[in-house]
Amino acid sequence: MIDNFHIGFRGIDKSFGKILVLDNATINITNHDCIVITGENGAGKTTLLRILAGLEKPDHCQISIDQAAAESWRHLRKRLLKSIMYLHQQPYMLAGTLRRNLEYTAKLNPAIVDRESSVNKALHWAGLQALETHPSASLSGGQKQRVALARARLRDPQILLLDEPTSNLDTESRDKTLQMLREFRDCGMAIVIVTHDPDIFGSLPNGKLHLDDHRIIYHDSRIVDLDSVRKTQHK
Amino acid sequence: MDVLVSSTLDAFRLLFTGNVEIWEIIGISFRVSTMAISIAIPPALVIAFFLAYGRFFGRRFLISLFNTFLSVPAVVIGLTLFILLSRQGPMGDFKLLFTQNAMIAGQFFLCLPILVSMAHAAFQSADRRAWETARTLGAKPVYAFFTVLYEIRFGLMAAMLAGYGRIISEVGASMMLGGNIAHYTRNIPTAIALETSKGNFAEGIALGTVLLFLAFLLNSLLQYVQGKGSINP
Repeated sequence: MIDNFHIGFRGIDKSFGKILVLDNATINITNHDCIVITGENGAGKTTLLRILAGLEKPDHCQISIDQAAAESWRHLRKRLLKSIMYLHQQPYMLAGTLRRNLEYTAKLNPAIVDRESSVNKALHWAGLQALETHPSASLSGGQKQRVALARARLRDPQILLLDEPTSNLDTESRDKTLQMLREFRDCGMAIVIVTHDPDIFGSLPNGKLHLDDHRIIYHDSRIVDLDSVRKTQHK
Repeated sequence: MDVLVSSTLDAFRLLFTGNVEIWEIIGISFRVSTMAISIAIPPALVIAFFLAYGRFFGRRFLISLFNTFLSVPAVVIGLTLFILLSRQGPMGDFKLLFTQNAMIAGQFFLCLPILVSMAHAAFQSADRRAWETARTLGAKPVYAFFTVLYEIRFGLMAAMLAGYGRIISEVGASMMLGGNIAHYTRNIPTAIALETSKGNFAEGIALGTVLLFLAFLLNSLLQYVQGKGSINP
């Protein structure tokens, strides 16, 4: 079970050159949250997710972790990468077998004592035992998605960010993915999903954000008052 | 024609009867070039990585600079280092000129641009998700760097083979910096130049055969590595 946590991002601005991608976007995440982000193509959904993951530097943003303001972007990114995991729309498989992908992840989690047993449990949980020796490059889209989620289980982050996790999946793989995500949320993990089709996720989400014209125009009152938090400029 | 045939036969006799002098020259060549490329690989990989993934002022200029260094003749590198290492030069006190270390330095600067350019291309062609996946799985930057290296290992091996092929056969820098001293700095290319000028074609052909064999071996390896890389990206 994951301990209580709260991460707030307020006033996220991001431009690529002269192209504005995010304008004053705000999002707050606590454990057990499942937030779905929707929006048109190019609205800035993926960029928002990448900023939350610490993979993209915002032009400006106020960030608080457990109500404490973070200092520099470098320090902040370190903390974000430590507690947040990002899954690409098409998960990247490291070279080698499927099992190697899981062993790699297990090796990076210091909380895992018995690596082999943890990897076996993750394989079983994702229904991938039969494929463990297969080259990861030969897996189908649905199988890669399950590998990515099995890696997330071994990584055990506080927040899991998913970019279009159900696109290009058949019904069976989609249901399996939803079941796995539900288990994550029940364990206290927060989930943020970018999608074009929020209805797929049924009752799983407890919050919805819609990005329009690079701004969040609809949300479920997830803004907390961060005015007391020292403003940090990241430029 | 008779000269060519008899010289070639003599060359093989020298090679396969274990002529000490010939094999000593081959040994020096391999020792110097292997040392040079071993020293060049770590900085080249780090430079290539930052050129590919970094976002800093002057990046494009540096990429152009390394690409330009690809076509710098070996004698120019030899001349530059000769000036630096000669007694009157700024590094004359180190007394490196006409030593194997000077040859290693020359070959280091010859293969560094090749390694950087080809490794940079390999990093560029690599899926950026490899780096991001490693980081988001909890890998620290250095560990993620080695993860990406493993992902592009075939491209990097091609770079190393190309770099090795360039320095093992170069004559200009080795001649100027090593001085072609028998039993000490005489390597395959400088020995070929010397023996040919003396009219000892058999020795020249014997050493040339070794270089040809090596070139064939490196190219075969390159083909194998590139083929393997395309099958299992």
